[in-house]
Amino acid sequence: MEQEAPVGVNEGGDAGKSFLSRFAPAAAPLLAVVALIALPLWNPGPNTVRLLFVTLTLVTTSVAWNLLGGFGGQVSFGFAVFYGLGAYTAALSINGGIPPAVAFAIGAAVAALASLLIGLPTFRLKGPYFAIATIGVSEAVRVVMTNLPWTGGASGYRILEKGRFFQMHHYYTALALAVLAVGISILVRRSKLGLALIAIREDQDAASDLGVNPFTTKLLVHALAAALAGAAGGVYARYAAFIDPEGVFAFRNGVAILLMPIIGGVGTIWGPVIGAFVYGLIHEEVVAYFPQAHLLIFGSLLILIILFEPGGVVGLFNRLMRLFVGGRKS
Amino acid sequence: MSAADLLNLFIAAFLLAGVYAAMSVGMTIIYGVMKIVNLAHAGFLMLGAYFVYEAYDRFQIDPLLGVLLAFPVFFFIGMGVHWLLVRRIPTSDVPTLTSLLLLFGLWLVLQNVGYLVWGNADRAILTPRTLSSIEIGPISFPTVRLAVFGAAVVSLAVLEFVLHRTWFGRSVRALMQNKEGGQIVGVNVQRTAQVAFGVGIAFTGAAGGLLAMLYSFSPDFGAPFLLRAFVIIVLGGLESFAGVAIGAVILALAETFSILALPASYQPAIAFSLLVVALIVLPDGVAGLWNKRRRWV
Repeated sequence: MEQEAPVGVNEGGDAGKSFLSRFAPAAAPLLAVVALIALPLWNPGPNTVRLLFVTLTLVTTSVAWNLLGGFGGQVSFGFAVFYGLGAYTAALSINGGIPPAVAFAIGAAVAALASLLIGLPTFRLKGPYFAIATIGVSEAVRVVMTNLPWTGGASGYRILEKGRFFQMHHYYTALALAVLAVGISILVRRSKLGLALIAIREDQDAASDLGVNPFTTKLLVHALAAALAGAAGGVYARYAAFIDPEGVFAFRNGVAILLMPIIGGVGTIWGPVIGAFVYGLIHEEVVAYFPQAHLLIFGSLLILIILFEPGGVVGLFNRLMRLFVGGRKS
Repeated sequence: MSAADLLNLFIAAFLLAGVYAAMSVGMTIIYGVMKIVNLAHAGFLMLGAYFVYEAYDRFQIDPLLGVLLAFPVFFFIGMGVHWLLVRRIPTSDVPTLTSLLLLFGLWLVLQNVGYLVWGNADRAILTPRTLSSIEIGPISFPTVRLAVFGAAVVSLAVLEFVLHRTWFGRSVRALMQNKEGGQIVGVNVQRTAQVAFGVGIAFTGAAGGLLAMLYSFSPDFGAPFLLRAFVIIVLGGLESFAGVAIGAVILALAETFSILALPASYQPAIAFSLLVVALIVLPDGVAGLWNKRRRWV
């Protein structure tokens, strides 16, 4: 699949470019971040903040999925596992008296460890093994968590925190994590690691002939992505104060995490972010209006994107730009 | 545990293996010819289950006859899906991101069409056969499982005949072994792929009907069977029909005997553990082991 990256790898080499044209592409995201930081100025209602909070945790998971799925071409249906493990680990740690920031880090670490369990047996092989194993592991983990007595099993687990509840505090945590995730995504895309990943996506045999080790590269990026998803799960768990296996490990969470980057534009920096905002802001409406059929709508959307615009929103935008600019030139 | 209990467990495992093999063979055909993992497998199993259920509920068609009817119906559904969606995506020697996501989207669509049409209540097919069993001394054969096993074995035998005695079967096997070679000797790849997809879906739909006689089902039916089918074809070496039978027996034995050691609620985790073990120990499947042995001798 061809993907165009809005942030080029050798952009820094263009010495002739002016300051403005070099940093112009970064202007829109920077403005968006500033607007999100200054959110209290608009005096938003608690529900708006909640929606933005959820959307920002979704941005983190979407960007995390894109690291492996978009740059590396490894489709995972099991990111809900990391999200859920991060949520449960953070919940247990917070109840054990560990400060939240450390608890999120522990959640991320546990999720990264869990990623090895799937990666070690499957990444050695080419073929569909990894994708299918991720479907299996999400089923297996949900079943185990539903039956595990010391986390409350199917009835869920409650987080008890002393002190007042500050919604904005949670919001800024989610925002910081999302910014961190996008930062990591940009760094990966510009580093040798990112180039290796893209080489593996395009042709694994050629990549390994050129000295890229596909096994360790995929394993490393999978762990990185899992850690981000785990941290997002932890941030969500602390906000929700209650988690249950059907909520955080649900297969539909894994589906949502994969849908967002595809809606936005798989394999790009900003596509997953756009996809997460689109999905996060509309999916509650869709669920409210079509409680039975919302996955039908998202499934059809997935089929249509794959058949007609595999580049998602970013691809569509680029295509329109080409049409527009190209039309003027000729 | 007495010897009779052990024998009963073995019989249960082998009867289960028959259904598992019938359920996985459709996935093998599609993977073999097109290198596409049919992630919509679970959706077609579910549709097959409801097809047999509706035939029995509305028209009092015996479920076994319903399974027979499912073959032509799902054959044409499969051809249609191939024509509408699958032929439009690029193929490769390994499953691509595009094909995985496309069929995954199809699964979501099928599953949720199921919810729209049938709601989320569990259904079951209950016939006089369901609860009866044939007792021979201390050993008991549940009638419905025997019938399902028989149907599975007959359908696999027919497939074996088709693959080895018809030109379509020869084309399928040629493409599975070497796509370019098949093209050189004049196999029409598009046409064969379309028919093979139809046959694969026909087997999947019919197997869904067979499973519906054994288990209760809802539109969510099938997800655990998708993983099971995949474990079976991995154990079988991905592209071998004999391997499917061996893989089915291994998985059925593992699941049946696991109840001696593990609570039944952990059973869905067994298929996954088996997959992990298989990928580490025998990445070429049991058939690969067999080939290696033959090469040594």
